Amino acid sequence: MTVLLATLLKVLVIFGCLISAAGISTLAERKISAWIQLRRGPNRVGPFGLLQPLADGIKFMFKEEFVPPGKSRFLFILAPALAAVPAMMSVAVIPFTGRIAEIDGTPILGSVADLDMGAIFIMAVSGLGVYGIILGGWASNSKYPLLGGLRAAAQMISYELSMILIILAIVAMSGTLNLREIADAQNDHTLLGFLPAWNVFLQPLAFVLFVICTFAETNRHPFDFAECESELVGGFHTEYSSMKFALFFIGEYCAMIVMACLTTTLFLGGASVPFWAEAPWFIGLGSFVFKAAAFMFLFIWVRWSLPRFRYDQLMALGWKVFLPLAITNIFITGLVLAL
Amino acid sequence: MVIVKRKQLTLGERLYLPEIVRGLSITVRKMFAKRATRQYPEEPLVTTAVTRGQPRLAMNPDQTLRCVSCGMCEAACPAYAITIDAHEVEREIEREPEHFEIDMLRCILCGFCEEACPKEAIWMSDELELADYTRASLVYKLDRLVRPVSQLQGRIDYIEEINRRWNN
Ligand code: SF4
Ligand code: SF4
Repeated sequence: MTVLLATLLKVLVIFGCLISAAGISTLAERKISAWIQLRRGPNRVGPFGLLQPLADGIKFMFKEEFVPPGKSRFLFILAPALAAVPAMMSVAVIPFTGRIAEIDGTPILGSVADLDMGAIFIMAVSGLGVYGIILGGWASNSKYPLLGGLRAAAQMISYELSMILIILAIVAMSGTLNLREIADAQNDHTLLGFLPAWNVFLQPLAFVLFVICTFAETNRHPFDFAECESELVGGFHTEYSSMKFALFFIGEYCAMIVMACLTTTLFLGGASVPFWAEAPWFIGLGSFVFKAAAFMFLFIWVRWSLPRFRYDQLMALGWKVFLPLAITNIFITGLVLAL
Repeated sequence: MVIVKRKQLTLGERLYLPEIVRGLSITVRKMFAKRATRQYPEEPLVTTAVTRGQPRLAMNPDQTLRCVSCGMCEAACPAYAITIDAHEVEREIEREPEHFEIDMLRCILCGFCEEACPKEAIWMSDELELADYTRASLVYKLDRLVRPVSQLQGRIDYIEEINRRWNN
């Protein structure tokens, strides 16, 4: 019973934190973009503009809702939810920290669900997010959203393939699909006596490929073809307004956060602190949040630095560069493991 | 025929990643550079004698207006922003504006009135802010136009300096 209550509590806390983190990321996005462009960013609502996400949320609620006539109204309304829910769902298997407590011999772990096939779950569920985008593009009954949706789908498929192959290499190294165990496997020894044995040092190629894939996977710049303003007006969300539009964005930011967490887990040793193996769980949590936040910063930083790819370049990069490299990586990993 | 020479990219450039890192390092340096934005209402605009703000009427230290209602500014105004009604007074100058209106919504801050005035009575002040809820309230009457000469002295000195330069 208490275990159940603890899990329920974890669900609530993690869900709440995810949504607030998405809000904070929108503010961070605006602030950092402003700093990069020598502006100041929002600073009128609350101290340093900290209440801006709240103000934005309220504004979204009071905006007019518009549903374009023609296609199915039901699908049009369903699409934003379909885009947001998978991202929020996949956070369930992320091991935010180590063992928190023990109740009746059952350990309370840092993730909502300590699935044995967490890596597969997260790929499967986060891949579902693209349905929302396609559906939104189609139900909008307009050409630009449709193109945006199709592009998103093609892009997802191309990059998900490489992504899964990269994860496979990591899985082969740690011999488990459980994300917590993958994270733990990186902390049981050190490299050359001083480096923590994080996968980022063991698999640098895979790390670089994976990070670039996460950009494509979350439709972020420089791969944001689903919404590419200069070609497609607003892409899949052109026809959306008010809270439905906001939901697409919450979904996008949640997906980014999940991907940042996943990269942390797979490559940066999850909640571990270097040279402090016995760190208590809250220190581990802090370390995890710090690493994930660094990736969020990278997402934003790249967006405001690089120009957008061309669509054929994106496809060429995905199929002609990433896929061969990912396959090579698996072979090398296999060879090294076998030797 | 134009032949575009394509620059041969080096291996580092073709790999793309080093160039990305270079680009990222530029943007991160910009994050800490000096801001170009001015926080307007808190940090007001810097005004100098050269600032050509809204026209204002000069008032002598003895509380009399310099304007003699000659209508030169009214005629010079390209935006038809000025309307003057004169009346006679007992002072040496004999005439004074009874009503003097400048429609600030029409005024284009060109400064022709200042140039046209034979009595050095109208000057471009350094007042720039203009906001209200109705159009009527932005038609400035005498009570909002008159400023003591001392307030306009900077501008007056500057214009005199310019005129001296031209006349020599
Ligand atoms: S500044 Fe120009 S537009 Fe304005 S009142 Fe004087 S002459 Fe007219
Ligand atoms: S030109 Fe000068 S003196 Fe003549 S009406 Fe205008 S402000 Fe008065």
